[in-house]
Amino acid sequence: MRSYKLKIITPEKIFFDGETEQIIVRTTEGDIGVLAGHENYVSDLPAGPFRVRLDGQLKTAAISGGVLKVSKEATTILAMAAEWADEIDLEWAKRSQADAEKRLKETKSDFEHRLAELKLKRALNRISVSSKN
Amino acid sequence: MASSNMKDIKRRIKSVESTKQITNAMQLVASSKLRKAKEKADSSKPFFNAMYDTMCEIVREDATFTSIYTRKRKANVTLMVVISGDRGLAGGFNANVLKLAQQRYNEIAKDGHEAVVLPIGKKAVEYFEKRNFKIMTRYENIGESISVYGAMSIADKIIDVYNKDKIDKVELFYTDCISPLVQEEKHMALIPVNIETDKTNISLTNYEPSPESVFDSLIPRYIAGVLFGAIVNSFAAEQAARRTAMENATDNANEMISNLSLVYNRARQAAITQEITEIVSGANAQE
Repeated sequence: MRSYKLKIITPEKIFFDGETEQIIVRTTEGDIGVLAGHENYVSDLPAGPFRVRLDGQLKTAAISGGVLKVSKEATTILAMAAEWADEIDLEWAKRSQADAEKRLKETKSDFEHRLAELKLKRALNRISVSSKN
Repeated sequence: MASSNMKDIKRRIKSVESTKQITNAMQLVASSKLRKAKEKADSSKPFFNAMYDTMCEIVREDATFTSIYTRKRKANVTLMVVISGDRGLAGGFNANVLKLAQQRYNEIAKDGHEAVVLPIGKKAVEYFEKRNFKIMTRYENIGESISVYGAMSIADKIIDVYNKDKIDKVELFYTDCISPLVQEEKHMALIPVNIETDKTNISLTNYEPSPESVFDSLIPRYIAGVLFGAIVNSFAAEQAARRTAMENATDNANEMISNLSLVYNRARQAAITQEITEIVSGANAQE
């Protein structure tokens, strides 16, 4: 398979910068795969799993919301946070899940409710990606 | 008389020495914190640049593009996000950014508009509370350990208030850490987003679900990215400013100590000379 340039950037660091043959990523519209020579494409990413083919092997990571941008020069993912499946702190994710669930029950305002929901989704995504490892 | 004078000088030397110990320690702490903070500040830049480019591309590609985040509203109420440090003794660091914000506030007030402040950092909170400014939310002691999620929760709050039409404009005041020796106070418009639309590279791109919806969902992440970058940069700038200030203070203390030592030694010499003169003249008188 032909390879192409992939960059994953978070506010804290450049998470990945290198060549890959294929990625599979969850967008708001469903899972999509990107191979070399893909059309220019931009899509919103919710918290979801992300898989990248490196030396023939698929490696999994958790993406906590962001945007996918495919262009001729490179494919870029701008994510608020990203972790490889084996780097996920499961204890922390579970605590965060419990906290989000508690807040969902307690809060009354729409705004707080929405934030708690997003937090819960991020936590559940981390837990599910970590268990697939 | 001479001996009491000498005691005074000795005491002053001691006090300057203990001050010097403190400034020296603060300088060391600041430079070790600066190294970490500068790294964090530098690694926040690629995200911001890529995010901003993506947003500009969306707007550039579609001539009919509109979003509530790019349209200018009549600026009745401006939210000023002001980032300062949590502690003093950092030279002009806190004063400079607060002065910039105050100037902008005066301009807004002169035009007959209203301004609300969102201070980040203890010094900014104290400054605006003392002057009875309208404060939306205050954040203290978050600069050193700010996480992306911390920045996101601030961004979400700002966007929520903006969407409820309580504010019409958001401006950011922070200090950019350009290098360990150069810090610069910055003032930037956060919402409406200032988009550069030079129509140069137009490429056909497929946006899913739509350019508008991608753009609007980018906004909270963009604001969070900008805030995160501004907070970590301000923190790095604070450490850099403190290091420089404390370095100067240590140098000054050294100079004072050497001057005082000179005066002390002179006084000691004078006292000895006087004593000898007294003994000699006493001996002479007995002959």
